[in-house]
Amino acid sequence: MAAVTQHLSTRHLLGIKDLTAEDIHLIFHTSDNFKEVINRPIRKVPSLRDVTIANLFFENSTRTRISFELAEKRLSADVVNFSASSSSVKKGETLLDTVNNILSMKVDMVVMRHPAPCAPKFLSEHIDANIINAGDGTHEHPTQALLDAFSMQEKVGRLTGKKVAIFGDILHSRVALSNIFCLQKLGAEVTVCGPPTLIPKHIERLGVHVSYNRDETLAWCDIANILRIQLERQDIKYFPSLREYAQYFGVDRRALDRTGKELVVMHPGPINRGVEISSDVADSEHSIILQQVENGVAVRMAILYLLAART
Amino acid sequence: MKILIRKATIIDRTSEYHNKVMDILVSDAVILRIGQDLPAAAAAEVIEMEGLFVSPGWVDLGVQVGDPGFEHREDLDSVAQAAAAGGFTGIGPFPNTEPVIQAKPEVNYLLQKTHHSVLDIYPIGAITRNCKGLDITEMIDMHKVGAVAFSDGHTSIQNNGMMMRALQYVKAFGGIVINHPHDISIAGEGQIHEGYVSTALGMKGIPDMAEEMMVQRDIYLAEYTNSRVHISGISSRRSVDLIRGAKSRGIAVSCSVPVLNLVFTDQMLLDFNAQFKVLPPLRQQEDVEGLRAGLLDGTIDMITSNHVPLEVEQKQLEFAYAGFGAIGLETAYALANTHFGDKLGQEGLVTHFSRKPRQIFGLPEVVLQEGSKATLTLFQPDLSWTFKLDQRYSKSANSPLNGQVLKGKVVGIINKGRSFFRVNP
Repeated sequence: MAAVTQHLSTRHLLGIKDLTAEDIHLIFHTSDNFKEVINRPIRKVPSLRDVTIANLFFENSTRTRISFELAEKRLSADVVNFSASSSSVKKGETLLDTVNNILSMKVDMVVMRHPAPCAPKFLSEHIDANIINAGDGTHEHPTQALLDAFSMQEKVGRLTGKKVAIFGDILHSRVALSNIFCLQKLGAEVTVCGPPTLIPKHIERLGVHVSYNRDETLAWCDIANILRIQLERQDIKYFPSLREYAQYFGVDRRALDRTGKELVVMHPGPINRGVEISSDVADSEHSIILQQVENGVAVRMAILYLLAART
Repeated sequence: MKILIRKATIIDRTSEYHNKVMDILVSDAVILRIGQDLPAAAAAEVIEMEGLFVSPGWVDLGVQVGDPGFEHREDLDSVAQAAAAGGFTGIGPFPNTEPVIQAKPEVNYLLQKTHHSVLDIYPIGAITRNCKGLDITEMIDMHKVGAVAFSDGHTSIQNNGMMMRALQYVKAFGGIVINHPHDISIAGEGQIHEGYVSTALGMKGIPDMAEEMMVQRDIYLAEYTNSRVHISGISSRRSVDLIRGAKSRGIAVSCSVPVLNLVFTDQMLLDFNAQFKVLPPLRQQEDVEGLRAGLLDGTIDMITSNHVPLEVEQKQLEFAYAGFGAIGLETAYALANTHFGDKLGQEGLVTHFSRKPRQIFGLPEVVLQEGSKATLTLFQPDLSWTFKLDQRYSKSANSPLNGQVLKGKVVGIINKGRSFFRVNP
């Protein structure tokens, strides 16, 4: 693997907001190398030997947790996993106490998912380890945005001037927010599209376009990133039924065909088939959903590797 | 008790000594003499300081105290010190305690417990049982034993009919209802002002409309019932516009604004500083400007400290779980004077901290003249000092102002034949 001569500008990955475009390109360059590594017969490198990483998941996650764990293991790190439902932690021990307990056992890096926006930042102000945000409430999910952009770039080349549409529940989505920040830093143009009740009122002030019309948005974009309808994060009803949602905002084959052009279709998973995306789109030649998952491991390896170099 | 105040500028437009530098001799609870070069009486304590000002005692209605129920946050003794250190000779505690101040015994508790305090307590009784917004309390009874106003405090009255009946009911004794405008069905679980900052942080927002719709409602209801409403803690420019319009139509509405909302915007939250997590939320620059304009043209009647003491465990948490509120009694005047003392002048500040609230809530008027009650605030408007939390008087430490250099310092207060002077630097 090529030696990395540059460093990230930050020692934590709390959000895309804190990264520079150079940081993102460095992560992508490093990810390229690690992607080559994980396709070799021997997929393990000793880069993080003797580095201990705690994966703290205060909210349910399957794919992000497995992706991180694989990335850590392929870098030869020692890994401990901690899962707790947020409610039990909230009732008893504070986040700070929980994490300090774990850190007393000499942990170097913390990967954390938490339901409260800014929980990783709060932690970074109080403890010494490198912190990686694996999703904090409705705030950011930086590794997802990085692997999304990396996958887009792999498919269509440099993102400068490219048009990316994000479909779905923008209001409850940390993926949307991180995607917006990341794509803008890479020079892409972004439209968010969904029912008006799921689009934050002031989202245009982030410099994105807003559309309530699926077909117009599909016709406009080069890449469609379709988000999961977050039924679990909606405290009240924002739209009447999944049926109506699928009909007017879901992306299916007919809607894609109407555009008469080749679109790249993405989804961060897990998919609600037949709701925001139909099976014939998810499994089509347009879809890069499984490449996203593969790239997820390489991108997370790159991030862990670059942050470990910053201690 | 005999105290001689030397060479103090008197700020009291109802006094013949307004804007004059005088000596004031206080004997027990009364102003004995005002004059030039008064002889230091035998047992007198003499107060002589550079740039000393004296005004009628300041009051703050809508202070959160933890007594009874949350004494670890603030009890009636500690709040008396914090208030006095901030120049207040009287406060009206909100009824959100445990138990709630909702009947005669609780009102009596507050008054009896503070009988010997330097601080005047002006009880505010709850409008509804346990501030739940459902059943009306015995307001006439509470009024008879000394409640000066009625409010569910930090819990807004959500139900329109309930607010209407409360406004009607207090007319039985010429009372006044205080409501904090915050429509829960719109504000929901909002954490900060809804705008660019909340969007960029992925944080649930509190739209300014959640406040303005309730301001508008309370104006309608005050007009319909021909009763008096005080809207406490406004934060948006349009709320000022609505109240300005209502006042010009002769509706009996008054309002207050927390000093933090007159100074800071939601930009302070960009790095998730939970000490700035307050209600009403810090809004935008145009709101700050609208509020200040309302202060200058008289639309806004009072500046409040919006004092909400919280234990450290309530703030040292993930932002979304941190409690709302900041302590403010000790810094309210200094913060106001630092940021708009030039525009308002000391007379303007004293109007908002003393004269107007005394009028609105029917509190004893204080005039600086011989023979009057000695309820006095002593302060040095030109003195700069650094607010340090480890030298505070409040029991709680949830202030965003630690380490800030402020212009204008309170020396202390004289009230009820007692005095309190700051000893902390």
